[in-house]
Amino acid sequence: MKTNTKILTSEFEYLECPTLAEALNCLSKYNGKAKILAGGTDLLIKMKSGLLQCQYLIFVKKIEALNYLISDKKTLRIGPMINLRSIEKNEQVKAYYSALFEAVRSMAATSVKNMATIGGNLCNGSPAADTAPPLLVYGATLKLSSMRGDRIVPVEEFFLGPSQTVLESDELLTEICLPDLGDQVGSSFLKLGRVSADIAKINVAVCLNRNGKTVGNCRIAFGSVAPTPIRIPEAEEILKGQEMSDELIVKAAKAAAGLIKPITDKRSTNSYRQQVSKVILEEGIRSAWQRAGGEL
Amino acid sequence: METTVVGKGLPKFDAYTKAKGNIAYADDFSLPGMLYAKVLRSKYPAAKIISINTARAELLPGVHTVMTSKDVPHNNLRAKFGQSTDIGPNFEGLYRVLAEEKVRFLGEAIALVAADSEKIAEEALTLIDVIYEQLPGVFDPIEALKPDAYLVGDNDTNLVSQFKIRQGDVATAFESADVIVENTYRVPFKDHAFLEPEAGVAWVDENGIITIRVCTQVIEHFRTVAEVLGIPHNHVRVIGTWVGGGFGGKEDISVESFLALLAWKTKQPVKLTYTREESFLAHSKRHPFVMKYKTGATKDGMLVALEAELIADAGAYTYLSPWVLLYATVNAAGPYNIPHVKVDTVAVLTNNPFSSAYRGFGAVQPNFAYESQMDELARILDLDPLTIRLKNCLRQGDTLTTGADFGGSVAVQEVAEKAWQALGPKRADPGKHIKLGRGLAVGMMSYGRLTFLHDTSRSYIKLELDGSVLMRSGIPDLGAGQAQALVQIAAEELGVPLEKIKIFTSDTSLTPLAGTSTATRQLYMSGNATLKAAREVKERLIDKASVMLNADKTDLKFVNEKILRISEPDKYLALSAVIGQCSTDGDELYSEAQFNAPFTEVPVSDVITGQTFADFTFGAYAVEVAVDEETGAVNVERAVTCYDVGKAINPLNVEGQLEGGGVDSIGYALTENFEVEQGYLKSHSLAEYLLPTALDVPDIETILVESGAGIGPYGAKGIGEPACNAMAPAIINAIRDAVGVRITSLPATSEKVLFAMLSQN
Ligand SMILES: Cc1cc2nc3c(=O)[nH]c(=O)nc-3n(C[C@H](O)[C@H](O)[C@H](O)COP(=O)(O)OP(=O)(O)OC[C@H]3O[C@@H](n4cnc5c(N)ncnc54)[C@H](O)[C@@H]3O)c2cc1C
Repeated sequence: MKTNTKILTSEFEYLECPTLAEALNCLSKYNGKAKILAGGTDLLIKMKSGLLQCQYLIFVKKIEALNYLISDKKTLRIGPMINLRSIEKNEQVKAYYSALFEAVRSMAATSVKNMATIGGNLCNGSPAADTAPPLLVYGATLKLSSMRGDRIVPVEEFFLGPSQTVLESDELLTEICLPDLGDQVGSSFLKLGRVSADIAKINVAVCLNRNGKTVGNCRIAFGSVAPTPIRIPEAEEILKGQEMSDELIVKAAKAAAGLIKPITDKRSTNSYRQQVSKVILEEGIRSAWQRAGGEL
Repeated sequence: METTVVGKGLPKFDAYTKAKGNIAYADDFSLPGMLYAKVLRSKYPAAKIISINTARAELLPGVHTVMTSKDVPHNNLRAKFGQSTDIGPNFEGLYRVLAEEKVRFLGEAIALVAADSEKIAEEALTLIDVIYEQLPGVFDPIEALKPDAYLVGDNDTNLVSQFKIRQGDVATAFESADVIVENTYRVPFKDHAFLEPEAGVAWVDENGIITIRVCTQVIEHFRTVAEVLGIPHNHVRVIGTWVGGGFGGKEDISVESFLALLAWKTKQPVKLTYTREESFLAHSKRHPFVMKYKTGATKDGMLVALEAELIADAGAYTYLSPWVLLYATVNAAGPYNIPHVKVDTVAVLTNNPFSSAYRGFGAVQPNFAYESQMDELARILDLDPLTIRLKNCLRQGDTLTTGADFGGSVAVQEVAEKAWQALGPKRADPGKHIKLGRGLAVGMMSYGRLTFLHDTSRSYIKLELDGSVLMRSGIPDLGAGQAQALVQIAAEELGVPLEKIKIFTSDTSLTPLAGTSTATRQLYMSGNATLKAAREVKERLIDKASVMLNADKTDLKFVNEKILRISEPDKYLALSAVIGQCSTDGDELYSEAQFNAPFTEVPVSDVITGQTFADFTFGAYAVEVAVDEETGAVNVERAVTCYDVGKAINPLNVEGQLEGGGVDSIGYALTENFEVEQGYLKSHSLAEYLLPTALDVPDIETILVESGAGIGPYGAKGIGEPACNAMAPAIINAIRDAVGVRITSLPATSEKVLFAMLSQN
């Protein structure tokens, strides 16, 4: 860890791109030499600590066309430049996408949330990124755009490792798309931090559909327990098609805890993470089930 | 005594200006032609400096000077903290401006740069070539005490200080005890984490005076700065700014000498502001302690003996360690009557960050230990936490373990009862795996400095012809309302509204020196000096008014800018009329008064006896916590505090102090862990060093007891530092109550609590 001197040590050129076309053009023109600046709440810290240098900084947060949240009852499309506070205040998100709502609600403090974007949270590539587990369990897809064209990548394939994603150096994340989640759906997000406003020691999201008393489709994702946010398909399989019960929940949570291999870092220890992963997953499954209208 | 302004909960006169952002803090100030300074800091906690080559840095365009220890006229001095008495080498350590020969801790200052911009200064630091030879170092105070240990400093031992308390015969007494509780407690480094990092601007004025505008708790450091430069004391002027928090962390010299050296060398104004990370590296920490406690009681809960061994990590330099250790020694047994007490304390140098003053100054560490011990004893004896304390607490007329008398009021019983009872009836556990628990702790701490420091303070009051009032005091205001309290006292005495009084503070050349804003001494010391000054002026006004009104002196009263006859209130004079008459008669209405604390002699023996402090403040915290059995997370649900403050000059401010002390201690108890591994910091910034935020603390309920028996103005006691007592042990005791585990080392992180529960089951 280098000292944050408050000074941006390296010289760079600052480019403000108010339109998508200009942003993509700049990215292509300065390919490899430029970094994208959205809210800056991750990027500037890295620059000030000298961990990241670039010759060009392309400011994209003012691209109005990428600042939206559109819900048509079935799907949700999110412009990556929307700030976290706007997502938190959105009634649709609050009503139908509990895991995403709970994730943004848990993040940072209001001042940071007014700056920070959801696109930045994903593209920063942190294993602890709070919006990642919800998007994983919703089966979201990401639209990555460049002068070469657009491509759609499932969130699951997006993260490669700490600070590493599949984004090419000329690409911009331009849309986050949540598919139709189906009927009788419920989701939840839980997080443990050291203080209330903190990066996660561990976080978890659950999304499931209910068919009467049995679990239909189901997804589980953890953050801060691996080099990237991860899904736990083995635990999902334990739940799918089964009649919901306390025993089933405990079984799935126990299996998940056995599968993750967290590390010890400045925020917590591997043994603690392993231990509490069970606890938060159990609670996550319970509240998702109840939100799907199920009883326990 | 009836008061009209004193005792009112008034907003601080500086609050609104601060809220609007209109106060020019130390960093908010610039001068034309100003240079920017940066400090090169050691990369290693223990290393020999083979060579320092500044040639490349000096050649960088925009660099004005690079200075190392060889450029400092007097690089090694005795560290002073404003005391004007010589208290000898046992109580004063080395103050070294820049590292020479070897570095003792990570981040020790090695070289200074002044340049046209911060950026150039920053770059210049990378061009200074320091060749080090790494040395093994020693990082554990217990290791550092061993005979063949690595030597941190230049002496042949790492021992900084040791003290003892001997009362009765503990060995025999333990034999008569029915129960004995033995535990070892550990507390970590704690950072002050004030909002405003260290900052200042220095320049040489038109008369050649080195002027330093800086945020500090101790403007009296001007003398040390003069000695560093080898110039007369009156050639250095320190102007103290409003301080964005100190908590003891701005008690040692910070940027002053660096700025003075650079301004003196370049003859240009120079600014130096630390970043948060640099601030973490550069200033002191609260002392970590290892505390071995053995407490014995009879089966009906009467304490018979206490034995304590305290080891403090002084870090790399002595600074205030001997004083802090003495506080810990005297407070080690707590506010209890224990017939047999044996306390042994040592402070030891290591290659860790240096420890020095932190709000609570050696009283809070043993407070955690002795209050945990009391709680365990209560559990074994099946007594409730209040009962065991009431059976044993100090009462009026009791003595300290040093044999000294308590002067004023000893209200331990009252504060403990009030805090505990305010929690009310118990609630049911809110959820299956959420367990509620309650804890109580009491505490004691002195206010005012160690009496052998021979502390004094001065204050100046002048009445203007129009009846407005001008005050001058050297008092540094740390944001705690230090200045406002003095204004309230003057307003009370002179019957003048607060708005008509202006106070000028914190300037070593222009304001009377009021001493340091440390040791919970300002209200006590400068409050008394102000009271004395106000009463002197008042006396003269009364003399004049009694003639003018043809009234008896005892028949006069000061209200609302009038002097009136008590017997005939419609007979009065406007204050300004009396001032005018005094002035016409050649009697200027001003006074500079001095207040002296009681003086004692410097202790000559390790065994501490008799008086070392002027008076004590007693208080209690009662809390309710919720512990999540599944995650180990602890939440403080409720907190009630009760303190005997003597007299609340400004109750709002007293509440603020109590709440602030409480929040600070929630951090100490639960989240703040300044981790250092082999001399290297693991907590670099506020992302790793976790302070509780508004979301993590409950509303703190404050109950004020006003015994009127303090030795401050109007019977006030000091509250700033004592407010840090009791909350941390109350939380730990409440965790014990909730889930049955005794946490013996702070902070009680979720990890620690969870694994303690798991290993118990
Ligand atoms: C005090 C504080 C508290 C925080 N708390 C939390 C928390 O609780 N949980 C949490 O998850 N995070 C937290 N963060 C981290 C951070 O705020 C979030 O990750 C935030 O969402 C980042 O968004 P941004 O717009 O500021 O990103 P930026 O810093 O602008 O960018 C981050 C990275 O993404 C890239 N990027 C941004 N947008 C795009 C795009 N559209 N296409 C391609 N690349 C892009 C940038 O080049 C950069 O590499 C916290 C940060 C701070 C300072």
